[in-house]
Amino acid sequence: MKQLASLPMSIKLPLLAAAMMILAGTLASQVVLRSLARVQDARIQELAQMHVEGLTVALGSHVLRKDVREVYDTLDRASKGAEGRRMILTAVADERGRVLAATDPRRVPIDSDIADLVRNAVALDHLSIDDTAPVLNLLAPLVYQGRMVGQIATELDVSDLQAERRQALVFLILGNALIVSLLTLAGFVVLRRMLRPVTTLAYQMTETPGEPHPIPVSQIPRGDGETARLARTYNAMVAAVAAKAETERRLAERERFVALGRLSSSLAHEINNPLGGLLNATDTIRNYPDRPEVVRKAADLLDRGLRHLRDVTRATLDQNRLNRQDLPLTREDFEDLKLLIQPEVSRMGLTLDWSVDMPAPTAHGLCAVPVRQIVLNLLLNACTAAGTAGRVGLAVLPVDRELVLQITNTGPELSQAARERLLADGPVPQGGGVGLRLLRDLTRQLNGRIDLARVEGVTCITVALPFATEAGDAAE
Amino acid sequence: MTHPMTRRFLIGAGTAALIARPARAQPVLRLGLTPVFLDNDAVVIEGLRRALASGMNREIELFQRRTYQEVTGLLLDRTIDAAWLCGYPYLQHADALELVAVPAWRGGPRYQSYLIVGADDPATGLSELRGGLHAFSDPDSNSGYLVTATDLRRLGDRVETFFSRSVFTFGHRNVVRAVADGLVRSGSVDGYVWEALAVIEPALTERTRVVARSEWLGFPPVCARRDNLASEPVRALQDALLGLVERADGRQALAALHLDGFQRATDDLYDGIADRMRDLGP
Repeated sequence: MKQLASLPMSIKLPLLAAAMMILAGTLASQVVLRSLARVQDARIQELAQMHVEGLTVALGSHVLRKDVREVYDTLDRASKGAEGRRMILTAVADERGRVLAATDPRRVPIDSDIADLVRNAVALDHLSIDDTAPVLNLLAPLVYQGRMVGQIATELDVSDLQAERRQALVFLILGNALIVSLLTLAGFVVLRRMLRPVTTLAYQMTETPGEPHPIPVSQIPRGDGETARLARTYNAMVAAVAAKAETERRLAERERFVALGRLSSSLAHEINNPLGGLLNATDTIRNYPDRPEVVRKAADLLDRGLRHLRDVTRATLDQNRLNRQDLPLTREDFEDLKLLIQPEVSRMGLTLDWSVDMPAPTAHGLCAVPVRQIVLNLLLNACTAAGTAGRVGLAVLPVDRELVLQITNTGPELSQAARERLLADGPVPQGGGVGLRLLRDLTRQLNGRIDLARVEGVTCITVALPFATEAGDAAE
Repeated sequence: MTHPMTRRFLIGAGTAALIARPARAQPVLRLGLTPVFLDNDAVVIEGLRRALASGMNREIELFQRRTYQEVTGLLLDRTIDAAWLCGYPYLQHADALELVAVPAWRGGPRYQSYLIVGADDPATGLSELRGGLHAFSDPDSNSGYLVTATDLRRLGDRVETFFSRSVFTFGHRNVVRAVADGLVRSGSVDGYVWEALAVIEPALTERTRVVARSEWLGFPPVCARRDNLASEPVRALQDALLGLVERADGRQALAALHLDGFQRATDDLYDGIADRMRDLGP
């Protein structure tokens, strides 16, 4: 059974169909053979009845008179006139069971006991052909003028009828085997053809290296059958995964540009401004080399400016090289996020609602990196869920010493599997990505909670993160 | 063959009509037969009837009965004019019956009774058949009953005790068939019939074997009532029987019967049967 379960569906289903056809064929054959047996039994009973009735009419008076010669003569003529030699032997006895005559007098002599001949004999109504005995024994009373004057024992040759049954059985077996073989082959071909999309899908999902590949359009069945819908859904899923990966790649690139811009503006602001003063100081030194006090002042100015530049450079290096995990969450982080998802919003033609009410970093004490990761993940999911021309929103506001992040979208309701990943801590259901579960883990690390609501066709995911200052104080 | 419509033809045709007409005017002869004698072969009997009718120039009505007793009864009560009987019933009623003619077979008016058994039966004589089933043809048949019954009597035995059961088949051919098929072990049969069957149906007689033959005895005669012997129809029958051998249809009928012809006979022809009747007793 385990071996059967391990077989591919394209072999298992035709095998199952063949098994059912064999079962049906066997049942049908049984019905046919039983009908044939009934017909043959009725035929042999009718024949035997005619035989007995005919002999009764012809022999009645002779048996009554115990006229051996006439009985024998009648039996002899009857047996010679019979077609097909169905009746092998017929013997007639008087009322005491003493044989008067038989068609084979050497085998059944006159005056012998008819009981010796009819040990296995049955009555007319119980005459039935079985597969073992080629000869049936019949014993019937000979009734003349209303009283039993003797008995008629007959041996019937039914070997031809048995052969007919065996022949029917052989034909049924051969016919069924041929039909089942042909139908199984046809079923195998048809089912294999029907299941080809599923096989292709399984291959594309499991056998292709790297990321999943879409099923070529030429291999998608025509029409709107289940397999066609399955293939199209799979292709859409593959496209969504690819789009998400592309978006993440672009986001990473954008983030680099954002960092670079911020560095550029810092340099422009912090270095360009003092440079004018420093250049003035070098001009002063060049113009007044013979005035030591002026040179000293200019050198001091130059020294301060260069020190300032050193500080600025150090600060910039700190800003961009040091561990950013510890950087506090600021309004600029949300501006960065808006900048990051803007290309996705534009690509999908989404409407973006954006509202950020951000308290000072010192007030909340939350780190930027995990919060950015949470919000970016939810926003990207919202964009995907909302679909083309949907609406996506972000609202950030402090509520009772908690930073509340609300991400909304007008897409379909979150699936059960996605809800389990986002809201529960149970084992991750098979299929789908792990982004939502990672997001939940990040939230838990920040002692936060996630709520899901669906109001008037809008999915709203609320992440509430307690201020770290209070948590830190409480811990201390 | 065409006949021109000549005066001579018309005279000839008229003469033929005059000759034919008295044949219908003559009283019909009523002749009794039994199937005991030969098998009731319709073709053979019809051939004999035609030949006799032609020879007698009158119609013959055949009366066929199953037993000698029935035919003898018809003869005695005048239902029939003559009958082909057996020597035994003839002698039983010798006071009332007279011989008309006797067939000649193999050169004489005599025949034998055969005791037959199955071809594979080892018996060589009557005494070895004790306790078996035996077939007779008719209780009033010389060859088919009287001979075996008297043989047994001469051995100091009786039919009823010697055989386990005896069956009357009312026909010599039936006796041969009963023995050949194994219905009975042995049978008493007319030797003339057995020999005729050996020619007509050799496959039947080959399944039997003759173990004993009787002495030569008088052949079954054609008889009439003594008081009717001189009557015209009986005389005509006698003439026709004696003249069969002279006519083509008669010879054809005799050939079918395997007989040489018919001849006159006297009562002493049946002395052998009379001896047996005496031995059998009342």
